[in-house]
Amino acid sequence: MTVGLGWNPHEGTGYDFDLDVSAIMIDGNRFVPEDEFFVFYNNVDSPDSSVHHTGDDPSGGNSDGGDDESINVDLTRVDPKIQEILFVVTIHEAQARRQNFGQVRDSYIRIIDDLSNNEVCKYELGEDFSIETAIEFGRLYKRSGQWKFEASGIGYKEDLAFFLSKYFKGQIIK
Amino acid sequence: MAINLVKGQTIDLRKNDKGESYDLSSVTIGLGWDVRQTKSGGFLGKIFGGAAEEVEYDLDAIAFLLDKNGKVVNMGRTIQTSNGRTVNMYEGDVIYFNSMKHPSGHIWLTGDNRTGAGDGDDEQIIVKLDALDPKYDKILFVVSIYQGRKNNQHFGMVDNAFIRAVDSKGKEIAKFSLSGDATYNGMCSMTFAEVYRKDDSWKFRAIGDPHQTDNFIELLKKYTA
Repeated sequence: MTVGLGWNPHEGTGYDFDLDVSAIMIDGNRFVPEDEFFVFYNNVDSPDSSVHHTGDDPSGGNSDGGDDESINVDLTRVDPKIQEILFVVTIHEAQARRQNFGQVRDSYIRIIDDLSNNEVCKYELGEDFSIETAIEFGRLYKRSGQWKFEASGIGYKEDLAFFLSKYFKGQIIK
Repeated sequence: MAINLVKGQTIDLRKNDKGESYDLSSVTIGLGWDVRQTKSGGFLGKIFGGAAEEVEYDLDAIAFLLDKNGKVVNMGRTIQTSNGRTVNMYEGDVIYFNSMKHPSGHIWLTGDNRTGAGDGDDEQIIVKLDALDPKYDKILFVVSIYQGRKNNQHFGMVDNAFIRAVDSKGKEIAKFSLSGDATYNGMCSMTFAEVYRKDDSWKFRAIGDPHQTDNFIELLKKYTA
């Protein structure tokens, strides 16, 4: 399956809108077992090769109308110790740039089933959110050996470190 | 701006467009500390005539060269020095005070400073990463206090001790302060950092995992076949 994030570039002057999609891979103790199980713009592959990030798009210009950043997940390769994969969308430096999802045009996050090419779930970020700067999109979790997806769509006025710090014991450099 | 680390794992959320890219064609691991300042007197000091004794600390930087399986393959050989001393692990894939230069010539220790005299880096390990044989996949850097247990020494006592990594252009990648942090009290060694191959280039990762042992051989055990 693929998690796709799309948005349109800033048309006026000012800072680019830099949206990021990230995956936090969590073990049975509710922690990221090694830093490489946090997949984001600076670490595009998980150690088990199950999660791959297509790379950072700092402006939304990667695709016209389509996904600008994607995360591909091959659930058959996920390390057995991983019990949950959390997907979040954040606006890079939202606070410094005084940006929020209400300002970004045509932004969405969606899940595509790679086998059928069907869209399983989609949030229009600009419509569903306004003053938020960080969104918990949803999570894949394992129950009795089966992976299931649960959409959450909860917005926060926070940043990427906010999500990561819940599951990562080490130091986070912002 | 270099990362001044505290401990454990680190995730850097900053983006590279802020100039945080490093030239890892070579990397220098620098270890620095100060000669312990004499503590004058105190009650006992007065009884014993205030004899100002300067305590010396001997910190060592060590590197393990690991293969794709995360193991040290060549453990070197045992030699007799001219003065009759037996030296183990000579010219193997472990760089340390008794075997300072790797046979390939691409990784070496600049010297064994036994007191910390001098400012800046007192010992350095230099690695020409771009020249290193492809069979080496990862290099792990360790720092330890030589005979720290026997001498009742630990990082919490050493003044201004640090270990840092510098890229080929002289830019500091990461630095751990080993002194003045309660985390390092009672600790005599630390797994500092690793460089590893990823997608045809080298990556640096700070680790900063402290250990009680003063003997790097204890840490090496995990990486021997």
